[in-house]
Amino acid sequence: MDVSVQILNSLNYILVLILVAMGLAIIFGLMRVINMAHGEFFLLGAYTVVMTDQAGLGFWPGLVLAPMIVGLIGMAIEYICIRHLYQRFLDTILATWGLSIAIKQLIIILFGPAGLMIKPPLPQMVSFMGIEYPSYRLFIMAVALITIVLTFYVFLKTDFGLGARAVIDNRDMAAVLGINTRKMYRTTFTFGSALAGLAGAVMAPLMSCDPQMGLGFFIPAFLAILTGGTGALAGVLVGGGAVGGADSIISFIYSPVISQIVVFSMVIIVIRIRPQGLLGSRNRG
Amino acid sequence: MVHVIRLLVLLIFAVLPLSGSDYLTVQLTQYMVYGIFAMSLSLLWGYAGILCFGHAIFFGIGAYVMALITKGMVPGFTGFLASTWIGLLLAVLSVACFAVILGYFLFYGRLSGPYLGIVTLAISVIAERVAVNWYYIGGFNGLTEVPALSFFGSEIREIHSLFYFILAVALGLYLFCDRLMRSPLGTTMAAIRDNEIRAEFFGYNSANYKIVIFCIGASVAALAGALFATVTEFVSPTLLGFGFSTEVLIWVALGGKEVLLASFLGAVVVRILEAFLSDILTYYWIMVLGLFFVVCVMFFPRGIFGSLLSERKQKTGRAL
Repeated sequence: MDVSVQILNSLNYILVLILVAMGLAIIFGLMRVINMAHGEFFLLGAYTVVMTDQAGLGFWPGLVLAPMIVGLIGMAIEYICIRHLYQRFLDTILATWGLSIAIKQLIIILFGPAGLMIKPPLPQMVSFMGIEYPSYRLFIMAVALITIVLTFYVFLKTDFGLGARAVIDNRDMAAVLGINTRKMYRTTFTFGSALAGLAGAVMAPLMSCDPQMGLGFFIPAFLAILTGGTGALAGVLVGGGAVGGADSIISFIYSPVISQIVVFSMVIIVIRIRPQGLLGSRNRG
Repeated sequence: MVHVIRLLVLLIFAVLPLSGSDYLTVQLTQYMVYGIFAMSLSLLWGYAGILCFGHAIFFGIGAYVMALITKGMVPGFTGFLASTWIGLLLAVLSVACFAVILGYFLFYGRLSGPYLGIVTLAISVIAERVAVNWYYIGGFNGLTEVPALSFFGSEIREIHSLFYFILAVALGLYLFCDRLMRSPLGTTMAAIRDNEIRAEFFGYNSANYKIVIFCIGASVAALAGALFATVTEFVSPTLLGFGFSTEVLIWVALGGKEVLLASFLGAVVVRILEAFLSDILTYYWIMVLGLFFVVCVMFFPRGIFGSLLSERKQKTGRAL
């Protein structure tokens, strides 16, 4: 395989990883909730696409539906369960973990434990700068990049983003100043879930969809947040770049198992030296 | 009152094999090993406030070391060096060393709460993948025909004697852990759990204390793993992995993490229910268990048996 193709593939993985990690980081930053079911939201996104594909509608309606459906599921989970646990930080992890087990099992019951493939939506290759590259991967990169830029725009340039950053900085002060934190939590959780759903949907045609794929993205995404730090949203970019880049390059040269071990050891060393993460400046958990 | 319940539990376990079938005895022997494993997690999570999501790594490593040593698969370990004694000893020692090294990085890295949980979760996922890809230790299929426990030339194979042996070990470990938590170390652990910053102002190096308790909890888990390998005569990568880590966490949370005996009972009762209900509910069992776990976290944070067996009054407003 050509080296430039491999670099593009790494970039592809990094961008999707950032998409997943960003949802996780926003939910954590604002609500101090670590959403253990985030990997399962990714899974739900992927299986939404599988469902539309099986129903004969093809990939594209699934791509549009996935963020909406997963966002709605996220909103429902926030309303039914997480809302009651805001004062009990550790319990939210356990509760979302219980949910993740239930969701994963539900997928197994509905679709079976085996991997499912869907028809490639953009099978043609594009050639530029002397290399051939699948056009669908370019499409993924474009979608991920646009979503990331939009998220940054919302958080850094709009009134909602201003309020959200105020809540991240000092939750009580923000509430005193008249920001409806409850409403903000719900919006955030819905938005974060939708991001995971979108990431799952765009990745579905590239990999075989099986019920364990959520975990495969949740752990690197979480390691990315640990590496980058949770204070600033930009930390996700750095962490996602470092973890995703190292992971895909080492697994290309050696094997996926070795790359997991190496990346994980790197993360442990980073947090031993800089407990707040590469870009973080605030205390953690 | 609590003492009466404890004795009653012991009595029930002691007479169960007399009345029940052989099948029940064999199953209960296994469940008691799970119970020991659950107690070790309760030690870390309920007593020391260390939420370990990948606790199965220690159980699994203990099981693998025991299997490799007693099967004579470690080069240079033959004769007495391949006996049950050395197997148990090395299983516990290797895991204790591993836990100290890991603990050094984790606790001096100031990881706590969910961060710690997910880092240990990641380790357990990686450990499972390594075991699956390492063909010398059996790869995906694991190792079979692990020799039974054997002390002073006699093997413990008969199901009733094995049952009472495991019961005695469980009782001994329970008394050890219980005593440990009443010692000054246990009090300090409780102080660190309830308010780490305050404990540090009193001059306790919380990271060192956490490493100590992490090491003890891991060693007990390793012992449980080593026993499991001999009881079932089989080890496989799933013993190290994510799924099993999840299971033990659910047992402890359902039973009651703040009480050792409650965690033990949580493991045994959930396993018994699973044996009955997974036939009826099949695939739905795990989903039901997951949702029940959520409900339990929301409404019974102290577990099902926890409130019943606790000596302490319900605390109000514990610090995060």
